[in-house]
Amino acid sequence: MAMVAVNDDMFTDDVIADPYTYYGRLRDEDPVHWNEKYDLWVLTRHADVVWMTRHHELFSNAVFRNDPRPAYPAIPASDEPLYDYAREYQADQFIQFDRPEHLEMRKIVHGYFTPRAMEAWRGFVKNAITELLDAAEDRGHMDVMKDFATPLPLLVIAQMMGVPKEDRPYVRHLAEKLLYIGRGEPDRMRPFVEGMQGMIEYVAPLANERIDKPGDDFISVLAQGEKKGVFTRHQVLVNTSLLLLAGHETTINLMCNGTLSFMRHPDQWALFKTDPEGLAKRATEECLRYDAPVKSIQRLAAQDVEMRGKTLHKDDRIRWFITSANRDPEVFANPDTFDITRDPNPHVGFGNGVHHCLGATLARLEGQEAFKALAQRFPNLHLETETIEYQPSIALRSIKSLPVAFD
Amino acid sequence: MARKLRIRVDHNVCVGNAMCETFAPHVFQLNANRQSEAVNPEGDTEEKILEAAENCPVSAIFVEDAETGERLFP
Repeated sequence: MAMVAVNDDMFTDDVIADPYTYYGRLRDEDPVHWNEKYDLWVLTRHADVVWMTRHHELFSNAVFRNDPRPAYPAIPASDEPLYDYAREYQADQFIQFDRPEHLEMRKIVHGYFTPRAMEAWRGFVKNAITELLDAAEDRGHMDVMKDFATPLPLLVIAQMMGVPKEDRPYVRHLAEKLLYIGRGEPDRMRPFVEGMQGMIEYVAPLANERIDKPGDDFISVLAQGEKKGVFTRHQVLVNTSLLLLAGHETTINLMCNGTLSFMRHPDQWALFKTDPEGLAKRATEECLRYDAPVKSIQRLAAQDVEMRGKTLHKDDRIRWFITSANRDPEVFANPDTFDITRDPNPHVGFGNGVHHCLGATLARLEGQEAFKALAQRFPNLHLETETIEYQPSIALRSIKSLPVAFD
Repeated sequence: MARKLRIRVDHNVCVGNAMCETFAPHVFQLNANRQSEAVNPEGDTEEKILEAAENCPVSAIFVEDAETGERLFP
């Protein structure tokens, strides 16, 4: 096996700050890389990521159920029972199943998220954006992360879940704990597990109520899945919090990373302002490509698989990087250039294949409306900080804080 | 008699989610690249075909009346 001298610690400050150099080098020099330190394969080329995600029979999604290896980065031994709980809990997410079970589960929730069904939410999203930006305008500045990107998806999801208005602060409190999934701190397990347990307790009575009296909300959709025998009660509760989690952190990152990309490319921001309505779709796709909300996702090899002359053995752990695939020069001309008119733009920001992101249309819609509103209302938007810090996560590209002003 | 349909799958957009294959299995099949192809426009009912198009998560499926050219989806 050709060995490439590369530092296998993917959590160092420089790799967290700039994943593009590190994973871009792997993509160029060793696209199917065995990472000794974390005991996993690192896939970085666009063609390989697309091929792998479309061959779901070769690569299993049941990672939490079937991967016995310890948490990484390491956690204290005393937190191991918490990790076991988190593993069992997450194993019940529908995305952690393979076919045939995955197809039956996805069919229950898929119809709720079709492009046409999501289009009906555009008005609600626009109103929520207007309210949040009204509040920001009065102050003259905001932290895009805290004041805009975090509350927006939460308002949408709370509405989809049919959560009473007075409960929203509590749901937000739980969501903040669930967001620890994306962090690398050693003590991340406790708040994460508290979030999961809190969600189970909060959602249980709502599911009870809606199994017999369904409404048009997402918990009712899942509860009907229980009635059909596709979901267990635990799965109904876990998948409700999956919606909260998956639709939250990722959208925060799209809004923050996209805003940052615009601010760091004044020519593209100027271009966008000439026609926000007309450019919003392509610009949002470019934000998803250029600085994607999710950096990497895991699989387990379901059998021995050959890739570029290497053998991935059954049960080997694999991490595939959107970050590097989205900048693959074999697919994208000038891959490191932020170009909001890029078309076609076959980025893999939402993955690919049968597990392609269920909420992709909603995320796109939220991104389009958010960037449009920023350009229309705050043409002089600018950063109020020189330094950008990221959460120490290998999976998510999460800015800690993004202060901006409008004057 | 059922009207004839013209069905197109945009391969610049198709992500191989395979939901179309689930809704109208005699019309849509995945090719060697695991992208959808409309292999037989008469394989399933118009209702099933439109349901498949509606459930495409990336709106890659286009359906029209083969004779009149009337757009049926999207």
